[in-house]
Amino acid sequence: MSLARALESRNQVIFSVYELFIAIRHLRSRRRQTILSILGIGLAVMILMVSQASMVGFTEELYKKTVDNMPHVTVEPKSDEDYIYLYRSLAYDIREIEGVTGASPVLSGQATFAYKDTSRNVLMQGILVKEHNTVLHTEKDITEGSFRDLEVTHKSVILGDSLSEKLDVKVGDTLDATFPEAKPTTLKVVGIYDSGTPQDETLAYVPLSTAQHFFDNSNVANSILVRVEDPDYAQPIADEIDAVGYQASSWMETNPEILQMIMIEGLSNFIILGMIIVIASFSMVSTLFMVVMEKTKEIGMLMAMGVPRRSILTIFLLEGGIMGLIGPVVGVLAGIVVSLYLGSITMDIGEEAYGGVSTFPFVVRTKDAVMIVIFTFLLNLVAGIFPARRASRLDPVEAISSE
Amino acid sequence: MSEKNIIQITDLTKVYGDGVKIKALDNVNMTIGRGEFMAIVGPSGSGKSTLLNMIGILDTPTSGTITLDGVDITKASEKERSKMRNQKLGFIFQYHHLLPDFNAVENVMMPLLINGIKPTNARAKAHTMLKEVGLGERINHKPRQLSGGENQRVAIARALANSPEIVIGDELTGNLDSKTSEKIYELLRKLNREHNQTFILVTHDEQMAEKTERIIGLVDGKITEDKST
Repeated sequence: MSLARALESRNQVIFSVYELFIAIRHLRSRRRQTILSILGIGLAVMILMVSQASMVGFTEELYKKTVDNMPHVTVEPKSDEDYIYLYRSLAYDIREIEGVTGASPVLSGQATFAYKDTSRNVLMQGILVKEHNTVLHTEKDITEGSFRDLEVTHKSVILGDSLSEKLDVKVGDTLDATFPEAKPTTLKVVGIYDSGTPQDETLAYVPLSTAQHFFDNSNVANSILVRVEDPDYAQPIADEIDAVGYQASSWMETNPEILQMIMIEGLSNFIILGMIIVIASFSMVSTLFMVVMEKTKEIGMLMAMGVPRRSILTIFLLEGGIMGLIGPVVGVLAGIVVSLYLGSITMDIGEEAYGGVSTFPFVVRTKDAVMIVIFTFLLNLVAGIFPARRASRLDPVEAISSE
Repeated sequence: MSEKNIIQITDLTKVYGDGVKIKALDNVNMTIGRGEFMAIVGPSGSGKSTLLNMIGILDTPTSGTITLDGVDITKASEKERSKMRNQKLGFIFQYHHLLPDFNAVENVMMPLLINGIKPTNARAKAHTMLKEVGLGERINHKPRQLSGGENQRVAIARALANSPEIVIGDELTGNLDSKTSEKIYELLRKLNREHNQTFILVTHDEQMAEKTERIIGLVDGKITEDKST
């Protein structure tokens, strides 16, 4: 049964023809104030819309720069074991899980790299090139040499740009790798990468077999890095892997600060802009109070003609509701136009600020637009109750004789 | 109450003020018959407007009862009171009190729309009413585009739109020159004869009062005279 019919069957309608007739005429008779009130709300909504679009754009960019470049799920050995022994079959099983797009077994540990007189402690990570690239897309960060060479050259290494500068090595050079209880070896630099993050200074990639040899532990891995299609759904996948005994944690668990940052940004955004809308609603309410004062005599006359107090309330709620609906619709449309315009300009906010976000787009989402309109409309409707109630409680005799 | 009486007022008292009490109406008793054309006269502050507001269900008495067409309005709910104001009563005020944002025909339509009549039917009826008061040509003018007399005619058409049993007028010609007042009076008299509606007019104007069928004099909230002319 449709809503209209449901209301009709209960012999009730939300408002009657004459109530709407009077409400619209009141608004039209004070055209300037009405337009100003609508513009006030519209402007606030436009600011909210633009800010929301930039917020969404920023969040997406933050995801792209951080979440996109980190394993979404990290699988570690069973709690009573030091290593993952059957890493090949486990990685295979993980890839079979729905929503998983890649799984890369790695063996990492501390190592000391020395070249000529310089030495540095690094995190040496043994990887399978193809598998690793499906998880972290490391290949796109390569600035010199070739990522694939790591696969074909035994005892090779790829360094971050900062680390290579500190060690003063170039592609083709050979450095020494040592560490207590490890088998010393030499590694040939086959590539340099630049991910734009602090790991450029500490993380070095070697073939998995080289790492196994160095740490004297053949056929083991100490973690499997997993990529999923939608980072927001990393947690259930981590839980699924966790259920078979391995310790799996999602990026939300390993990097809670990212979510916190998005949440704090979003919350402060919402509070400040929500306040702007409340202020705009205040101006609408003051306009309505002025209408009630100006129309006091008329309200008395309407009561004398037999308009019940309830209908007086409805008339003024309609006036607030009409302004409270046109305002946000106009504001959201203006906000979309402004966002699209600002989005067409590339803004550089500095290298590696905000977790590596250097530029960001404005992203307009339909659900944001709809939510903002509904939120503002309801807020205005509620705010309109106060002047409407004042009007409905007027004493008809006093109202008619008022000046 | 007999069938021919439309209004029965019993022991009606209205007291204003919290500290110093002012008795605007003091134990008023009267009956008004169906179709009467009467005037209530008295000096200002005598309580005549208060009495009119009580009959018009705009105000409530401190004590006593008012029965309109068999219904005790002092006991009626807010909803019933609104409905009676709309269907049984028509108001004409000193200053026409038309809705300034609506034109003549829309003003006359208003009580009909409130009564739930469809806009097209309401418009037709309003047009007929305006013709009856001699304003058939100026129906699309707003109150500020019409003269005082014309506006008062619109107000009369509006008061009569729902064919109410009782029409009440509060100093309705007080703001008009004597020639226009005369015309308005003639119009009301004609309508009273044609529709057999009860007209209760509060007035200062002795001449006008003399032309009605019955004059009730009020002084200090009490009825001091009740004469048929």
